[in-house]
Amino acid sequence: MGPTGFVYLEKLTEFSALLRQEGLAVGPQETADACKVLESFGFSDREVVKAALRAVYAKSQQEQSAFDRAFDGFFVSVERREALREQHRAEAEELARRRSEAEQELQVNGQSMDLREDLQEVYLQLSEDKREYLRQFLEKSQENLTRSPKLYGNFIRSVFMRFLLEQQMLMEDAAVGCEEADPDLALLYRDISRFKETDIPRATALIARIAQQLNAELSQRRLHAGHSGKLDFKKTIRRGLETGGSFYRLSFRRKRRRRRRLVLLCDVSGSMLQFSEFALRFIKSMSEISESSRTFLFSEGVYEVDPFALQNMESFRSYVRSSGLYGKGTDLGTALEHLCTLRPSPLGPSTTLLILSDTKSIDLPRAARALAEAKRQAGKVLWLNPIPEQKWPYVRSIQVMSLLCQMVPCSTLDELARACRKLVQA
Amino acid sequence: MDVQELKNKLDAAHYVYDDSLVTTLLVALQLGRPLLIEGAAGVGKTEIAKVMAQALDRELVRLQCYEGLDESKALYEWNYQKQLLSIQVQMNRQNPEELTRSLFSDEYLLERPLLKSIRSEEPVVLLIDEIDKADEEFEAFLLELLSEMQVSIPEIGTIRSKTIPFVVLTSNRARPLSEALRRRCAYLYIQYPSLEKEIAIIRAKQPNVNEHLAVQVAQAIQDLRANDAILKKPSIAETLDWVSALEALGISDLTPEAVRQTRGFVLKNSEDLEAAEDGIPRPEGAQESAHQHCGHCHHDHAAPAEQPDDTDKIQQAQQRAEGR
Repeated sequence: MGPTGFVYLEKLTEFSALLRQEGLAVGPQETADACKVLESFGFSDREVVKAALRAVYAKSQQEQSAFDRAFDGFFVSVERREALREQHRAEAEELARRRSEAEQELQVNGQSMDLREDLQEVYLQLSEDKREYLRQFLEKSQENLTRSPKLYGNFIRSVFMRFLLEQQMLMEDAAVGCEEADPDLALLYRDISRFKETDIPRATALIARIAQQLNAELSQRRLHAGHSGKLDFKKTIRRGLETGGSFYRLSFRRKRRRRRRLVLLCDVSGSMLQFSEFALRFIKSMSEISESSRTFLFSEGVYEVDPFALQNMESFRSYVRSSGLYGKGTDLGTALEHLCTLRPSPLGPSTTLLILSDTKSIDLPRAARALAEAKRQAGKVLWLNPIPEQKWPYVRSIQVMSLLCQMVPCSTLDELARACRKLVQA
Repeated sequence: MDVQELKNKLDAAHYVYDDSLVTTLLVALQLGRPLLIEGAAGVGKTEIAKVMAQALDRELVRLQCYEGLDESKALYEWNYQKQLLSIQVQMNRQNPEELTRSLFSDEYLLERPLLKSIRSEEPVVLLIDEIDKADEEFEAFLLELLSEMQVSIPEIGTIRSKTIPFVVLTSNRARPLSEALRRRCAYLYIQYPSLEKEIAIIRAKQPNVNEHLAVQVAQAIQDLRANDAILKKPSIAETLDWVSALEALGISDLTPEAVRQTRGFVLKNSEDLEAAEDGIPRPEGAQESAHQHCGHCHHDHAAPAEQPDDTDKIQQAQQRAEGR
């Protein structure tokens, strides 16, 4: 290999390291393969090189998207590199200017607001209209601020923090950016509460597909979990007949696995309806989850759903509206107390109580006490929470409830699928 | 083999390809790696193995995977009946060790597709179809074959491949495949074809079909695939079936009536038929008659104002396709 060859080997090694950072499983074998491929195909056609390296490095559709991004960022022409360098220089200057501006703006009573570094970065990335909104708010509060500097100083800081946290969540939405490349993939990582009316048929089809995949995966794992049972004489003798009475292959009795009974408690108050609908669709389409289930819907009151009504999820919304629960507040305490006092009791040692709620409820202490009682009666309690995990430290009710039971983030369909897998393993 | 040579061979096999596909095939061939192909059902994954066998002038050995597939069906099995018969016949033989040895010889070995592909004197194309339907154990068992091109038979020992087969694995992603398997393969994901490619496929596979009809069918299929309400998207094979059916009925223009008569060739379940009822693709020049035939609908079937007119799209596609 000549000096040029070594340069490319070095570049390829760097590229492999970059792909590893992107989450691709790249080992020395892939790098060696990439070298062979480049030696054979040459470097004259960028698209050919890209397709050849993609075949070597990317091993799934998701990995192909990550590879394309990494390739386009790593292998750039000289002109493009120059342009990028110029662009980076301009961006760095702009960033420095905005940073010094932000330092001036994020001050109350002439002192820094002392915001977290990541939130300061979010402020830098805000569009001009959003920054203007905050500036105006600060301006309007000036009079109060002079009257009571400490009280209003804290208030202004909390408003800024909340606004910036919300913006941070919007920016961190994993679906942003991959919508064009693969709309289904984007849907998988997008916050369920942000699904538009037009996304719903696609999301429903996606749920059916993921549930089918999960069912197949879980049932195979169960079927082939090894033969820990006793010898099945009848089957062994029957199989032995094929080989003239010699027992070449032994058959074992499979241990019967008892799936847990599931009790679902779904919050269908205004903001939760969309999430509950999708979560129920998912759970109901997963035959591997439980052998029987009962579903209760709640807002201010609580209502057991007729299992036949849930067979047709298309009419779920109208069903909820006719139940009288729609558009009301949330009283988790009443719902849980109802479950605990119902006779015969739906809860028991072989039951998993699955709560679909954002934890926001009236009379939080009563709800917490009722949850503790429900946990005592049920074998296991799992909470699927549609609020993104990064927001949890700022929601008091989540902090309280997560001390009492296992809470799983479920803001996206991907997280919902992971939660269902966890539910089977529970 | 270089890119152009492979392209020529694919052309000779009447296979419609794009550059990225050819490059990936060549990478797999040159590295001697198995090729894992994923994509929705009916996009032509299996077809690639068939075409490669034709292009490379090799025999195609096919292993269809299913739940419960094991070594005895995929690799080898001893012919137990013949062994037992042999024991009975040679019961009084003086040298029992020799008899035992002879029982595990080639004579009693039933060769299954995997063994056949690696013991073949001439290189073959091995198609392991729908690997996602097989169990995880079988997938793990394949690892030795795919990475070392050898298999171990306890009674005989390790059998190394005489020639390197070109291995093609296909998956519909019914379950995720293991990382270990993926790492041993070159990877290709196939999407549904674009309008131009679909027209080219119809032309290549059905050279006698009316050009106007081919464009109309391709456009209608594209519309059906874009329709979110359709659960089972029509495959390429179904496109070709539809064209054949229309040809057989002597239909040269895809009117709504013709669509209604033959839609069973592309839509295979009642939900999809119902969903398509509201949005049956409107071929060019058929908008008027569509309104007449769809008396029960209250909504307007014509394309929304902000969307480009289908006629223009078809004409553009026709021009692009003719330019190829």
